[in-house]
Amino acid sequence: MDLQSLSYALTQVVHNFGAVAVVGGAIMGRWPQPITLLQQRRMAWLILLGWFLQGASGAGFGAISFAWYGQFPDIHGIALIALYLKVGCAVGGFLLAGAFLRYQGEWPERRQQAVWTGLIVLAVTALVAAAFLRWFS
Amino acid sequence: MKSSNMFILSLIISLVIGNVAEAAEASVTILSPADGATLDLMAQNKVEYEVVPGPQGHHVHFYVDGRETAILRRLVGSHTLGSLAEGPHELCVKVVNRNHTPIGVEKCIDVTVE
Repeated sequence: MDLQSLSYALTQVVHNFGAVAVVGGAIMGRWPQPITLLQQRRMAWLILLGWFLQGASGAGFGAISFAWYGQFPDIHGIALIALYLKVGCAVGGFLLAGAFLRYQGEWPERRQQAVWTGLIVLAVTALVAAAFLRWFS
Repeated sequence: MKSSNMFILSLIISLVIGNVAEAAEASVTILSPADGATLDLMAQNKVEYEVVPGPQGHHVHFYVDGRETAILRRLVGSHTLGSLAEGPHELCVKVVNRNHTPIGVEKCIDVTVE
Protein backbone atom coordinates (compact mmCIF):
# COMPACT_ATOMS: atom_id res chain seq x y z
CA MET A 1 0.00 0.00 0.00
CA ASP A 2 1.71 3.18 -1.11
CA LEU A 3 1.23 6.62 0.35
CA GLN A 4 0.02 8.18 -2.88
CA SER A 5 -2.81 5.69 -3.36
CA LEU A 6 -3.71 6.01 0.31
CA SER A 7 -3.91 9.80 -0.06
CA TYR A 8 -6.19 9.53 -3.09
CA ALA A 9 -8.34 6.88 -1.36
CA LEU A 10 -8.80 8.88 1.86
CA THR A 11 -9.64 11.99 -0.16
CA GLN A 12 -12.17 9.91 -2.08
CA VAL A 13 -13.73 8.77 1.21
CA VAL A 14 -14.25 12.40 2.26
CA HIS A 15 -15.57 13.27 -1.21
CA ASN A 16 -18.04 10.38 -1.17
CA PHE A 17 -19.41 11.25 2.25
CA GLY A 18 -19.70 14.87 1.17
CA ALA A 19 -21.78 13.72 -1.81
CA VAL A 20 -24.04 11.65 0.43
CA ALA A 21 -24.55 14.64 2.74
CA VAL A 22 -25.48 17.12 0.00
CA VAL A 23 -27.81 14.74 -1.85
CA GLY A 24 -29.36 12.99 1.13
CA GLY A 25 -29.62 16.14 3.23
CA ALA A 26 -31.40 18.09 0.50
CA ILE A 27 -33.85 15.28 -0.19
CA MET A 28 -34.58 14.88 3.51
CA GLY A 29 -35.13 18.63 3.82
CA ARG A 30 -37.64 18.62 0.98
CA TRP A 31 -39.15 15.16 1.31
CA PRO A 32 -40.53 12.64 2.15
CA GLN A 33 -42.56 14.31 4.91
CA PRO A 34 -42.56 17.68 6.62
CA ILE A 35 -39.85 18.07 9.26
CA THR A 36 -39.55 20.54 12.10
CA LEU A 37 -37.70 23.80 11.87
CA LEU A 38 -34.88 22.46 14.02
CA GLN A 39 -34.54 19.38 11.84
CA GLN A 40 -34.46 21.56 8.74
CA ARG A 41 -31.66 23.62 10.22
CA ARG A 42 -29.72 20.49 11.08
CA MET A 43 -30.10 19.31 7.51
CA ALA A 44 -28.94 22.69 6.24
CA TRP A 45 -25.84 22.50 8.46
CA LEU A 46 -25.17 18.99 7.17
CA ILE A 47 -25.46 20.20 3.59
CA LEU A 48 -23.23 23.20 4.30
CA LEU A 49 -20.59 20.88 5.72
CA GLY A 50 -21.10 18.46 2.82
CA TRP A 51 -20.47 21.14 0.19
CA PHE A 52 -17.42 22.34 2.08
CA LEU A 53 -16.05 18.78 2.13
CA GLN A 54 -16.85 18.38 -1.55
CA GLY A 55 -14.89 21.51 -2.41
CA ALA A 56 -11.98 20.75 -0.11
CA SER A 57 -11.61 17.13 -1.18
CA GLY A 58 -12.02 18.06 -4.84
CA ALA A 59 -9.15 20.49 -4.46
CA GLY A 60 -7.36 17.75 -2.55
CA PHE A 61 -7.35 15.48 -5.62
CA GLY A 62 -5.59 18.19 -7.58
CA ALA A 63 -3.21 18.93 -4.72
CA ILE A 64 -2.14 15.30 -4.42
CA SER A 65 -1.44 15.14 -8.15
CA PHE A 66 0.57 18.35 -7.93
CA ALA A 67 2.51 17.15 -4.89
CA TRP A 68 3.54 13.91 -6.63
CA TYR A 69 3.93 14.90 -10.25
CA GLY A 70 4.20 18.67 -10.25
CA GLN A 71 1.08 19.04 -12.37
CA PHE A 72 -2.66 18.89 -12.12
CA PRO A 73 -4.87 16.26 -13.81
CA ASP A 74 -4.81 16.64 -17.57
CA ILE A 75 -8.45 17.20 -18.44
CA HIS A 76 -10.14 18.91 -21.36
CA GLY A 77 -13.48 19.27 -23.11
CA ILE A 78 -16.33 17.39 -21.46
CA ALA A 79 -14.34 16.69 -18.30
CA LEU A 80 -13.44 20.34 -17.89
CA ILE A 81 -17.07 21.40 -18.36
CA ALA A 82 -18.05 18.79 -15.75
CA LEU A 83 -15.42 20.16 -13.35
CA TYR A 84 -16.67 23.73 -13.77
CA LEU A 85 -20.21 22.50 -13.19
CA LYS A 86 -19.16 20.74 -9.99
CA VAL A 87 -17.34 23.81 -8.71
CA GLY A 88 -20.37 25.97 -9.56
CA CYS A 89 -22.68 23.56 -7.75
CA ALA A 90 -20.41 23.49 -4.69
CA VAL A 91 -20.24 27.28 -4.48
CA GLY A 92 -23.98 27.62 -5.15
CA GLY A 93 -24.91 24.89 -2.68
CA PHE A 94 -22.70 26.32 0.03
CA LEU A 95 -24.13 29.82 -0.41
CA LEU A 96 -27.70 28.58 -0.61
CA ALA A 97 -27.39 26.45 2.52
CA GLY A 98 -25.68 29.34 4.30
CA ALA A 99 -28.42 31.76 3.23
CA PHE A 100 -31.05 29.32 4.43
CA LEU A 101 -29.46 29.13 7.85
CA ARG A 102 -29.12 32.92 8.03
CA TYR A 103 -32.50 34.04 6.68
CA GLN A 104 -34.82 31.10 7.16
CA GLY A 105 -36.80 32.87 9.87
CA GLU A 106 -37.62 35.78 7.56
CA TRP A 107 -38.51 33.68 4.54
CA PRO A 108 -42.02 32.50 3.69
CA GLU A 109 -42.67 28.76 3.50
CA ARG A 110 -42.76 28.84 -0.29
CA ARG A 111 -39.28 30.31 -0.58
CA GLN A 112 -37.90 27.78 1.87
CA GLN A 113 -39.32 24.97 -0.25
CA ALA A 114 -37.73 26.55 -3.32
CA VAL A 115 -34.36 26.56 -1.57
CA TRP A 116 -34.62 22.86 -0.78
CA THR A 117 -35.56 22.17 -4.39
CA GLY A 118 -32.58 24.25 -5.52
CA LEU A 119 -30.27 22.30 -3.22
CA ILE A 120 -31.54 19.03 -4.67
CA VAL A 121 -30.97 20.27 -8.22
CA LEU A 122 -27.43 21.40 -7.40
CA ALA A 123 -26.58 18.13 -5.65
CA VAL A 124 -27.93 15.93 -8.43
CA THR A 125 -26.20 18.06 -11.09
CA ALA A 126 -22.90 17.70 -9.25
CA LEU A 127 -23.38 13.96 -8.95
CA VAL A 128 -24.05 13.60 -12.67
CA ALA A 129 -21.09 15.84 -13.54
CA ALA A 130 -18.86 13.72 -11.30
CA ALA A 131 -19.48 10.68 -13.49
CA PHE A 132 -18.46 12.59 -16.63
CA LEU A 133 -15.41 14.01 -14.89
CA ARG A 134 -14.39 10.51 -13.85
CA TRP A 135 -14.63 8.89 -17.25
CA PHE A 136 -13.69 11.68 -19.64
CA SER A 137 -10.49 13.67 -19.60
CA MET B 1 4.91 -13.12 19.97
CA LYS B 2 1.15 -13.14 20.21
CA SER B 3 -0.70 -14.65 17.29
CA SER B 4 -2.50 -11.37 16.56
CA ASN B 5 0.86 -9.59 16.27
CA MET B 6 2.13 -12.34 14.00
CA PHE B 7 -0.94 -11.90 11.82
CA ILE B 8 -0.42 -8.14 11.51
CA LEU B 9 3.28 -8.60 10.77
CA SER B 10 2.60 -11.17 8.05
CA LEU B 11 -0.08 -8.89 6.58
CA ILE B 12 2.39 -5.99 6.37
CA ILE B 13 5.07 -8.21 4.83
CA SER B 14 2.65 -9.57 2.24
CA LEU B 15 1.54 -6.02 1.33
CA VAL B 16 5.14 -4.91 0.90
CA ILE B 17 6.06 -7.99 -1.14
CA GLY B 18 2.89 -7.58 -3.20
CA ASN B 19 3.86 -4.00 -4.00
CA VAL B 20 7.36 -4.99 -5.05
CA ALA B 21 6.04 -7.81 -7.22
CA GLU B 22 3.68 -5.57 -9.16
CA ALA B 23 6.15 -2.71 -9.52
CA ALA B 24 7.11 -3.38 -13.13
CA GLU B 25 8.61 -0.18 -14.46
CA ALA B 26 6.24 1.96 -16.50
CA SER B 27 7.06 2.39 -20.17
CA VAL B 28 5.58 3.46 -23.49
CA THR B 29 6.58 2.13 -26.88
CA ILE B 30 5.23 3.50 -30.14
CA LEU B 31 5.55 0.61 -32.53
CA SER B 32 4.45 2.54 -35.59
CA PRO B 33 4.81 4.91 -37.28
CA ALA B 34 8.52 5.36 -36.79
CA ASP B 35 9.90 8.61 -35.49
CA GLY B 36 10.40 10.93 -38.46
CA ALA B 37 8.02 8.97 -40.70
CA THR B 38 6.00 10.56 -43.47
CA LEU B 39 2.25 9.88 -43.39
CA ASP B 40 -0.09 9.95 -46.35
CA LEU B 41 -2.55 12.84 -46.08
CA MET B 42 -5.31 10.76 -47.68
CA ALA B 43 -4.71 7.54 -45.73
CA GLN B 44 -6.35 6.48 -42.48
CA ASN B 45 -3.23 6.56 -40.35
CA LYS B 46 -2.89 4.58 -37.14
CA VAL B 47 -0.54 4.71 -34.21
CA GLU B 48 0.33 1.34 -32.72
CA TYR B 49 1.54 1.41 -29.16
CA GLU B 50 2.41 -0.76 -26.19
CA VAL B 51 2.21 0.48 -22.61
CA VAL B 52 3.34 -0.90 -19.28
CA PRO B 53 1.50 1.28 -16.73
CA GLY B 54 3.69 0.44 -13.74
CA PRO B 55 2.39 0.67 -10.19
CA GLN B 56 1.15 4.29 -10.50
CA GLY B 57 -0.11 4.36 -14.08
CA HIS B 58 -3.64 3.40 -15.09
CA HIS B 59 -4.39 4.34 -18.71
CA VAL B 60 -2.96 6.57 -21.40
CA HIS B 61 -3.78 9.89 -23.04
CA PHE B 62 -2.97 10.55 -26.68
CA TYR B 63 -1.78 13.98 -27.85
CA VAL B 64 -1.37 15.63 -31.20
CA ASP B 65 0.80 18.75 -31.15
CA GLY B 66 0.41 18.99 -27.39
CA ARG B 67 -3.38 18.79 -27.47
CA GLU B 68 -5.05 15.77 -25.91
CA THR B 69 -7.21 14.07 -28.52
CA ALA B 70 -8.07 10.67 -26.99
CA ILE B 71 -8.14 8.51 -23.90
CA LEU B 72 -6.76 5.05 -24.60
CA ARG B 73 -7.77 2.41 -22.10
CA ARG B 74 -6.18 -0.54 -23.89
CA LEU B 75 -2.56 -0.88 -22.92
CA VAL B 76 -1.62 -2.58 -26.17
CA GLY B 77 -3.40 -1.49 -29.31
CA SER B 78 -3.75 1.04 -32.04
CA HIS B 79 -5.35 4.43 -32.33
CA THR B 80 -6.70 5.80 -35.59
CA LEU B 81 -5.64 9.36 -36.16
CA GLY B 82 -8.21 11.87 -37.23
CA SER B 83 -7.49 14.05 -40.21
CA LEU B 84 -4.20 15.86 -39.76
CA ALA B 85 -3.27 18.97 -41.64
CA GLU B 86 -0.39 18.82 -44.03
CA GLY B 87 2.96 19.46 -42.39
CA PRO B 88 4.93 18.37 -39.31
CA HIS B 89 3.17 17.06 -36.20
CA GLU B 90 4.15 15.72 -32.81
CA LEU B 91 2.34 12.60 -31.58
CA CYS B 92 2.61 11.66 -27.89
CA VAL B 93 1.38 8.83 -25.72
CA LYS B 94 1.45 9.63 -21.99
CA VAL B 95 0.77 7.28 -19.10
CA VAL B 96 -1.64 8.84 -16.58
CA ASN B 97 -2.93 7.69 -13.21
CA ARG B 98 -6.56 7.14 -12.21
CA ASN B 99 -6.87 10.86 -11.57
CA HIS B 100 -5.83 11.60 -15.19
CA THR B 101 -2.49 13.03 -14.09
CA PRO B 102 0.51 12.29 -16.33
CA ILE B 103 3.04 10.35 -14.25
CA GLY B 104 6.00 11.44 -16.34
CA VAL B 105 6.24 8.36 -18.54
CA GLU B 106 5.62 9.17 -22.18
CA LYS B 107 6.80 8.65 -25.72
CA CYS B 108 6.63 11.27 -28.45
CA ILE B 109 7.43 11.03 -32.14
CA ASP B 110 7.56 13.54 -34.95
CA VAL B 111 5.80 12.79 -38.21
CA THR B 112 5.18 14.72 -41.38
CA VAL B 113 1.88 14.55 -43.22
CA GLU B 114 2.09 14.98 -46.99
